[in-house]
Amino acid sequence: MILLILLDARASQPSEWALFFGHFHPLVVHLPIGFLLVAALLEVGRRLGKLGVEESTITSILFWSAVSATIACVFGYLLSLGGGYEEETLNDHMWQGIGVAVFTWIAWAVKSDWLGNRIPAGSALYLPAFVVALVLLGLAGHLGGSLTHGSDYLTQYTPEPFRTLAGIPPRKTAIAFKPITDVNQAVVYEQIIDPILQSRCVQCHNADKSKGDLRYDTAEMLKKGGEDGPVFIAGKGLESAMVKRCLLPEEDDDHMPPKGKPQLTEGQVALITWWIDQGASFDKKVADLTVNEAVRPVLASLGGGGPIEKGGIAVAGPAPESPVLTMAVPAADQKLIDEVKKTGLLVLPVSKEKNQLEVSAVNARTFSDAQATVLPKISQQIVWLKLSDTKVSDATLAQVAKLKNLQKLHLEQTSVTDAGLKNLKGLAHLEYLNLYGTAITDAGLAELAGIKSLKTVYLWQTKVTETGLMTLKKALPTLEIVGGVTEKTFTELARATPPEGKGDEQKKK
Amino acid sequence: MDIQDQIFDNVHDQLSRRNFLGQSSVGLGAIALASLLNPSSASATSLFGGTSPGENPAVGKPHFPPKVKRVIYLFQSGAPSQLDLFDYKPKLETMWGQDLPESVRKGQRLTGMTAGQSRFPLAASTFKFAQYGPDRMWMSELLPHTARIAGDLTFIRSMNTEAINHDPAVTFFQTGSQQAGRPSFGSWVSYGLGSDNQNMPAFVVLLSKGRDGDQPLYAKLWSNGFLPSVHQGVVFRSGPDPVYYLNNPPGIDRPSRRRMLDYLTKLHQEQYKQVLDPEINSRMAQYEMAYRMQTSVPETLDISKEPDYIFDMYGPDSRKPGTFAANCLLARKLVEKDVKFVQLYHQGWDQHGNLPNDIRIQAKSVDQASAALVMDLKQRGLLDDTLVIWGGEFGRGPYSQGKLTRENYGRDHHPRAFSVWMAGAGVKKGMVYGQTDDFGYNVVNQPVHVHDFQATVLHLLGVDHEKLTFKSQGRRYRLTDVHGKVVKPLLA
Repeated sequence: MILLILLDARASQPSEWALFFGHFHPLVVHLPIGFLLVAALLEVGRRLGKLGVEESTITSILFWSAVSATIACVFGYLLSLGGGYEEETLNDHMWQGIGVAVFTWIAWAVKSDWLGNRIPAGSALYLPAFVVALVLLGLAGHLGGSLTHGSDYLTQYTPEPFRTLAGIPPRKTAIAFKPITDVNQAVVYEQIIDPILQSRCVQCHNADKSKGDLRYDTAEMLKKGGEDGPVFIAGKGLESAMVKRCLLPEEDDDHMPPKGKPQLTEGQVALITWWIDQGASFDKKVADLTVNEAVRPVLASLGGGGPIEKGGIAVAGPAPESPVLTMAVPAADQKLIDEVKKTGLLVLPVSKEKNQLEVSAVNARTFSDAQATVLPKISQQIVWLKLSDTKVSDATLAQVAKLKNLQKLHLEQTSVTDAGLKNLKGLAHLEYLNLYGTAITDAGLAELAGIKSLKTVYLWQTKVTETGLMTLKKALPTLEIVGGVTEKTFTELARATPPEGKGDEQKKK
Repeated sequence: MDIQDQIFDNVHDQLSRRNFLGQSSVGLGAIALASLLNPSSASATSLFGGTSPGENPAVGKPHFPPKVKRVIYLFQSGAPSQLDLFDYKPKLETMWGQDLPESVRKGQRLTGMTAGQSRFPLAASTFKFAQYGPDRMWMSELLPHTARIAGDLTFIRSMNTEAINHDPAVTFFQTGSQQAGRPSFGSWVSYGLGSDNQNMPAFVVLLSKGRDGDQPLYAKLWSNGFLPSVHQGVVFRSGPDPVYYLNNPPGIDRPSRRRMLDYLTKLHQEQYKQVLDPEINSRMAQYEMAYRMQTSVPETLDISKEPDYIFDMYGPDSRKPGTFAANCLLARKLVEKDVKFVQLYHQGWDQHGNLPNDIRIQAKSVDQASAALVMDLKQRGLLDDTLVIWGGEFGRGPYSQGKLTRENYGRDHHPRAFSVWMAGAGVKKGMVYGQTDDFGYNVVNQPVHVHDFQATVLHLLGVDHEKLTFKSQGRRYRLTDVHGKVVKPLLA
């Protein structure tokens, strides 16, 4: 039957049977490798007198090595009919493979009972044939690996200094993609699309192995397309071959990557589709394209910092932590912590591994200015301070001024005034300031204008006016100001008819 | 070393052989042995620190700095129809009355209520949908107030669960298992992080009165399971007597209560020395907590000083004790006092029939107060580190249960896709995460399983869901069992 397939294989299109058996080549090829090496090891052992092996045992192993090598040759030929391999390497690999089979047969023949005696000078041929078969085995195996995985697969991770010694060029750092720090600024092809292609497609579509005459290893080759023409049509993601094939059912013969290979995730397909839809640009950044619902979360998951730009191209990973939470501070002395705790304050580490502390007066509503002098004792560690609804006033803020790493400060429903807010000027990391229910006025707000780190300030039920808010907003344009509305507008907000929705009212009868 | 191992060693050291035999002779050894053999009873400790008898559970340390310090979970029991509230599906309009294609249903099992139906006619929502907020979120006309806070919301449209009936589904959401017996979400949080407020429990439950004939709620939903009993959810009611049996009985004043507790503590300590059962510590902690709560609870829940405009904001129901609106107001008062986990249950979303009429009434009962709560928290600066969650145990299907007319239809349970919203700390404002197909039946993009959701909320609280464990009956348990992935794209 194999003969029939071989005959048939010479037709221009290899038959299914040919490819079916061809795909067994990588499986079968390992049998002669194992057999031959076992035979070699036994032979060495026997000659050194360390092993009590019969010669006939080794001969028998050689026989099966030869048989399996022959089958591997036939299957290998059938596999090559599928095409897509680098010609020269393939040719070398084929002849080396055939060589392994031939020399193994010779080594077996000269030792076999009924053939060996008929070959002149047979026993002299045994060792040379065996050795040649082994050498060819190594060469063929190496080229086979190169055909499958690419020529630099074996050595691509050679560490220095051996790399230079062996004359291997330094690793292509382009493959180590630029990490994405801010996804909005990422170059879509280079930093998002290309890494996907490199990890999922390039194994079979590269310079050494270009299945379907298609290469994804460089942008130029990607633009060129393959034997069926271009793989993408700019602006039409879903009609592009490189997307369509990914979306076919995995069982489909045309599905890519082939069944069993690592598949693209839905998110990756969505990204490629989006990139083509948006014109398949090779140099534009995320911010230059329109982000849609389908890719927004995927892009967001690529990480990177940057705040979410409202109404803009709002994609970003989790915002980076404030430096006061990530920096290393020494642990506070337990004695000092206990002193603070004595005033009724709750002192908690912000997390298991951090020495930063959160201090809260939730259980100490009578906490007063006199007690606040303990706070600077752990000034370096306090990052979150909650003194809401206590007896503290401006005098406490003079102590708070010493807490240089403060990130969040709760002063709501206390008697702090404008005068006290002066003390907050030097808090370079302050992001959250709650002043709701205090007697703060516009004059106090003016004191905040210098705190550039401030992100949110709460001013509900204070005496600030629209003018004061506008002035602050001008000084700190990114600051979110919550509150500052009168009680009347608050009620109206709650009662008013719903906002005008933009939608499909025309749809309903 | 594991806390439970510490306890075990502690017990082991104290129960020397001589002691053990001595005690056996008076029968106490048998009890001690029983507690030794029953590892599920551990002391009143939080995850990360021990505590001495009689103290409130020690406050724990998160695994990483938390974004969320408190959670208010507005649980919508009965399963709100996402197809009539949030997940707009115009395809249902064009295919109205046609059968749900089998290629969409893909063999999904049905409840006994519709399994016998010969047809599954698709029912479009009778309500108008529109897009709201800067991120243009779809919402129906049933939620005009929620629409107003669209800019503060984070939507998950791709929630999915495993259960198809109420009790297992609610239990699954609350405990991570469809079968009863595991600790509730709030209990895990209480166990892991303890309570900041020493006068209030970490886990408070508010039940709002639903309509007659609603799906029942059970105490197992806020049970501590195998965790020490201090972590059980404490049910608060609206009105003059918020916690059952908290007030002193007639004729007992506060000083005499104190004296009684002091004597009781001595007895308990004696007993603990003999028996070493950690549940005794739990019991003592509970007595002391109850004593402190006698003053802290009335003070915390006092709504008499709330101005009229606050009541107006939450809606007229907020003046009626026991309503959803009144409980939303209480929830705000509780988180103002740093109660860690407030679990509110609102019944009445189970619209199998007569949906258009019933869901309108039901939505009206929650819409204004839900939105008001978010706005109220925001004004007070609490939304910065509080997370509000709004959602039910599963969703409802696109085909009609019972007769379908242009005006009327019903919807049966549907586990494969439904919507939940969150507002507050640590999640991206205005984000809509996940996508369903044209029928709202299957998730086509970014699915979020119940365990993923639980893992994400724990993550926001600074807790690694894989590390928050408790050993019971020979193996370690966690809220997410052996599942769950933090949904990172949701994180702000």
